[in-house]
Amino acid sequence: MLGVISSLAIISAIPIFAIIINIYSEGARHLTLNFLIDLPPPPVSGKSGGIGPALVGSLILTLLAVAIGGSIGFFTGLYLSEFSHTRLAHYTQIFLQIMVEFPTIIIGLFAYMVLVAPLKRFNALAGAFALSIVIIPYIALNVREAYRSIPYTLKEAAFSLGVSAPIAYLRILLSTARRGVLTALLIGMAKAAGETAPLLLTILGTTFTYFGGLDQPINAIPLLIYNFALSPYERWHQVAWGAAAVLLTITLMIFIISRLVVREVKV
Amino acid sequence: MNWAIEVNNLNVWYGDKHVIKNVSFKVPKNIIFAVMGPSGCGKSTLLRAMNRLLELNPYARVEGQVKINGIDVYSDNVDITWVRRQFGMVFQIPNPFPHLSIYENVALGPKLNGLVKDRSELDELVKQALQQAYLWDEVKNDLKKPASMLSGGQQQRLCIARALALKPKIILMDEPTANLDPVASSKIEELMLELKEEYTIIIVTHNPQQAARISDYVAFLYMGELIEIGETSMVFTRPRNALTEKYVVGRMG
Repeated sequence: MLGVISSLAIISAIPIFAIIINIYSEGARHLTLNFLIDLPPPPVSGKSGGIGPALVGSLILTLLAVAIGGSIGFFTGLYLSEFSHTRLAHYTQIFLQIMVEFPTIIIGLFAYMVLVAPLKRFNALAGAFALSIVIIPYIALNVREAYRSIPYTLKEAAFSLGVSAPIAYLRILLSTARRGVLTALLIGMAKAAGETAPLLLTILGTTFTYFGGLDQPINAIPLLIYNFALSPYERWHQVAWGAAAVLLTITLMIFIISRLVVREVKV
Repeated sequence: MNWAIEVNNLNVWYGDKHVIKNVSFKVPKNIIFAVMGPSGCGKSTLLRAMNRLLELNPYARVEGQVKINGIDVYSDNVDITWVRRQFGMVFQIPNPFPHLSIYENVALGPKLNGLVKDRSELDELVKQALQQAYLWDEVKNDLKKPASMLSGGQQQRLCIARALALKPKIILMDEPTANLDPVASSKIEELMLELKEEYTIIIVTHNPQQAARISDYVAFLYMGELIEIGETSMVFTRPRNALTEKYVVGRMG
């Protein structure tokens, strides 16, 4: 019996190794500085190219999403932890748990209706908006845990200093919970960097321009992979592999950083 | 007489549970006032009702008056942060902020409350508070080190310094020695005797011997009711109430 369970456990771990090996064996050779900053190659000429616009786009979208979703998620999480007895917190928590499971394409569709259709143009802001909504529940629920983990006696110590609640929570107790909060933001960042579905209906995906403004279309690495992999051109397939390796590297780096952050907590 | 604190008809509920029942007493200035009683009798709650720290608990409800210098801390136009600054509080488990340095633990309160003009004034205030808490000589070369490196007794004295740095009028101590060894405990007790020259100290203890050793006035709290109050020497030698007698001679936990 134990043998069966152990082998099942091993089998469940196989995909992640298979994915990593697969992506890097096809994509690792593209990991050069030029690949990161250059424009994509024309589909059929002999020039090599890169994913510059998509990388820039991903950075902008991810940072915007973390800025918007991070602030909303942070304060939501703080509220859930400190006002957990209220009915509002109770229902917010249920909604967030539903949101975690929400199909992200629906969130993209919502962003399309709110920010793309009225502006009559695909735009970066709509993409960042959709990604923010995707990451809010992850950040909120993790920030809630971070604040919940603060010992009650430290909370009392903070408030006994005669400071207002915002100062107690943000200037004193935040630094006690800072690693949990940082982990929450990193999880949100990884999520925002990797999501594709919310971008399909919002940012269009530019191929040859880096950044034209938040009201303009923009590209992102996951969307570039999707578009290039579906294209009929072998050259673009190669770029998609390289982009996949870049995206995987970014995700693994965020994961490693967040593990290091968490480990430090336990010391 | 000018009292340090007056408590009038104080009642506290946690939800439906009535935990402080119509308690009234007055505390003169510059004395140690001990509230003793068995575990769960409401001592800690009583303390937290005075500086309104109890309001961190959403299920707590308070009725009655707590007056400092004639001002009721529960009246509508009184700011809760002002109330808390009138009291310095020391807790049962030494609770310095573990991620902050020794210096920052003491400096935080004055800094956040704008009690000092500049860095040198803050340095002086931190030094003073640490000296008053008998900790300066032990930590003066380690001010930048994290508070978590100190021993339990030192951490508790650091917490006392943190409370003193706010320049409070009254110091509330919630079983400050319950988690310390006898040597560290006696240091804290000596310190309290020193501090009452300048402050009024209200200490909660489940240990009648401690109350007898250090307090000038003592109150006996039992199941939320104030059973007896008076000069410590009187309460311990000639208790008026049978329950008090049972407690002070050690026949009640």
